[in-house]
Amino acid sequence: MEITLLVQATDECFSVIEKARRHAIDVLNTATLLTSETRSVEERKLQALLKGAVQARASSQQFLSTFLILMAFWCLLSGKFDIFHLSLGCICSLVIAYLSHDLLFANVRVGDARLIIQRFIAYMPWHLYQIAISNVHVAKLVLSPRMPIEPNVFRFKTKLESDMSWMALATSITLTPGTITIDIEDSGEFVVHALDKKLAADLNAGEMEDKIAHIFMESDHIYIQDALDMARVFGAMK
Amino acid sequence: MIHNSTDVIIKTVARIFIPFIQLYALYVIMHGHYSPGGGFQGGVILGASLILLLITHGERVAMQRISENWITILFSLGVLIYAGIGTLCLFFGGNFLDYGVLAPLLHVSPAAARSLGILGVEIGVGIAVMSVMVSIFYNIARSGPYRNKGTTARRES
Repeated sequence: MEITLLVQATDECFSVIEKARRHAIDVLNTATLLTSETRSVEERKLQALLKGAVQARASSQQFLSTFLILMAFWCLLSGKFDIFHLSLGCICSLVIAYLSHDLLFANVRVGDARLIIQRFIAYMPWHLYQIAISNVHVAKLVLSPRMPIEPNVFRFKTKLESDMSWMALATSITLTPGTITIDIEDSGEFVVHALDKKLAADLNAGEMEDKIAHIFMESDHIYIQDALDMARVFGAMK
Repeated sequence: MIHNSTDVIIKTVARIFIPFIQLYALYVIMHGHYSPGGGFQGGVILGASLILLLITHGERVAMQRISENWITILFSLGVLIYAGIGTLCLFFGGNFLDYGVLAPLLHVSPAAARSLGILGVEIGVGIAVMSVMVSIFYNIARSGPYRNKGTTARRES
């Protein structure tokens, strides 16, 4: 009798302990779940905050640089530098920068804007020289009595990536006498009309494309730029 | 209905030139009393820049930027500025648009008051002309009269 009672009592004791253990495990589990959930929520909040900050910074940078460019353009146009006209220009530039700051810098790639501008200025004399050369060539073609022109339309696929560099290449081709860009297809295929086999061959050699890629730091030229930058760093270290 | 253009060259050039065209328009408006130009010309250039945006980037982008409701408010505002400055001169005992009498209000000499008054009137004219041009073009592009927001949403859905 006493033994059975004792056994019952120990059984109950064990079951109570078991229950308590399960309960404790449940509590612990929920606790860990809760902490991980709150952590993930907090992380998400932080990430959203960071993303928002980065976006706000980018858009404020765009706003500021658009404002500065427009203000310079205003000074160029106006030519009156008293306080009244400068403040008018300031207000006008602010309004326009607010309205259309996302237009001027819509698809900007990662790159140094100052370097791009420097290289673009350095590209201009070369392009003027090319214009002069093909000018003489076209004049020869047209003035010679036989007029040996062979008009042809040809296509080539460009290695350039951004719309800005496509536009630069297309306008460069059109500015050069004898060749005209008819169309750029979505895949980056240029359709070009050339007056002569030589002009077409000059374009197909791809020197102009290389130069444009160099300006906008695209395709393989971005690695060359990296190497150049690193070389400068190594030189400083030495 | 005008859709987004697929030509990369046209889109990129338009995107880069639109802010400069708009600033040039404001320059023409603000320097109307020193050099050729003024409210009408500047307003037309400003309207043309928005129409260029509509042609190249499609109706949706242009209407996000400046909606039909805003255009309606703006062309009323332009006329209000013009007529308001004119009527203000009547209250100060001058003729309609006689800015010289506004001198005590602006604390400047009558000559400077005339200059400022003309500037204000030109801003009003510019806003009115710009918004009327854009409004006409919106109506042509949408092939229909002005609709308010609710009916537009229902029509698109």
